[in-house]
Amino acid sequence: MIAKKVLLVGNFGVGKTSLIRRFVQNKFSEDYISTIGVRVSSKVVEFENNEVKLLIWDVAGTSGDEKIPKAYFLGASAAMFVFDLSRSETYLTIENYIESIKDLSGLKEVTIVGNKRDLLTKEELKTVTDSISVKINIITSAKEDANVEDAFLKLASQALK
Amino acid sequence: MGKQAEDNKNDSRFELLRELLLEDDRDKLAETVHPLIDEKIENLRLNFPEYFGEAITKAIKVQIRDSQDEVVEALYPILGKLVKKFIVAEITKLSDNINRTIKEKLSIGSIIKRFFKGGNNNADVILQEVFEPIIEEVFVIQKDSGLLVGNFSRGNIAEKDMISGMLTAIKSFAEEAFSKEKQNLEDIKFETFQLSIQNFKTLYIATVISGVINIKFKENLHDNLNNLAEIILRDRSYLANEEKLSKIIQEILINKNLEPF
Repeated sequence: MIAKKVLLVGNFGVGKTSLIRRFVQNKFSEDYISTIGVRVSSKVVEFENNEVKLLIWDVAGTSGDEKIPKAYFLGASAAMFVFDLSRSETYLTIENYIESIKDLSGLKEVTIVGNKRDLLTKEELKTVTDSISVKINIITSAKEDANVEDAFLKLASQALK
Repeated sequence: MGKQAEDNKNDSRFELLRELLLEDDRDKLAETVHPLIDEKIENLRLNFPEYFGEAITKAIKVQIRDSQDEVVEALYPILGKLVKKFIVAEITKLSDNINRTIKEKLSIGSIIKRFFKGGNNNADVILQEVFEPIIEEVFVIQKDSGLLVGNFSRGNIAEKDMISGMLTAIKSFAEEAFSKEKQNLEDIKFETFQLSIQNFKTLYIATVISGVINIKFKENLHDNLNNLAEIILRDRSYLANEEKLSKIIQEILINKNLEPF
């Protein structure tokens, strides 16, 4: 079976861990896990008739945060940047975040995910997406289990490229 | 005047009620009421946990929470006795084991054998016998990605991929946080186990060992890990075949008896 390391990066509290929990264990928890800056989970997915084992590294923060070792980004085959649609501070400098992830990991592409869709009305969502300069690949809600699987399948496809 | 007449009227009503309740009809009333009361009591007896269980549990929890010192005081003597009993039993076992080993190791034959073979002092010999080092787990892990390439386990680890990922993360964290120069994390100790890490260019090998590790064992392990790495890195097909790699791990590290002394 092919095994790939994939990264989930984003500020504290944007819902990365919740997305993983929903995807890996299919259940949602409000608990917040404080780690050494990373938490590793694994999940086998089937993508285009291939079984792929994803080793998901949930990295809290980016290079701007000195507590995060650069080594966490090494050897990754794909990366997802997650931000909170309801908190502008998590996407205000999104371009810098993406560049930073690309520099550290050596990846050319990063999947961009806006999470916590359930906290916004349609109008508010449109205002947010219009204000963001980069293309958002997927809008998710870990709480309502919306588009979570698609986000990780997108990550798997990026890892297999 | 009017008030007195009213009081007299009330008195006569109470008298009438008293007669009704306590005189002729009382037995009849009792016949009807007693079975009902009995039935209710029986029902309460049978369903007490259902009716009051939750409330009582809640009350006990509150009581324990609010009176932790008292609870500890009440439990302490009981727990103390249990712990003492357990420790005495374990020490007796350990003492028997040491006595047996001393008898065996300090026999004339054994001393002569060790004299010609060279090696450790008696304390080391005894410790080594009582707490023999055993390789419990071996993980061969890609250095950067933390992906598990192959492993050996005496137990049944369900989340070995996650363990190798987290181990790599902890290793990276410790190396970046505490190393002034480019140094590698080599040992982690937890309870009765020691996790030893041997680093190579593109991979590292982590071994989990139980028991007492002496210098000789460590040297042997080091040599065997180097041999294993050499084989794997010369023939990269091992890295693509988990089963093949697990076999060679077993052959080099487990089946090959690591002489403790």
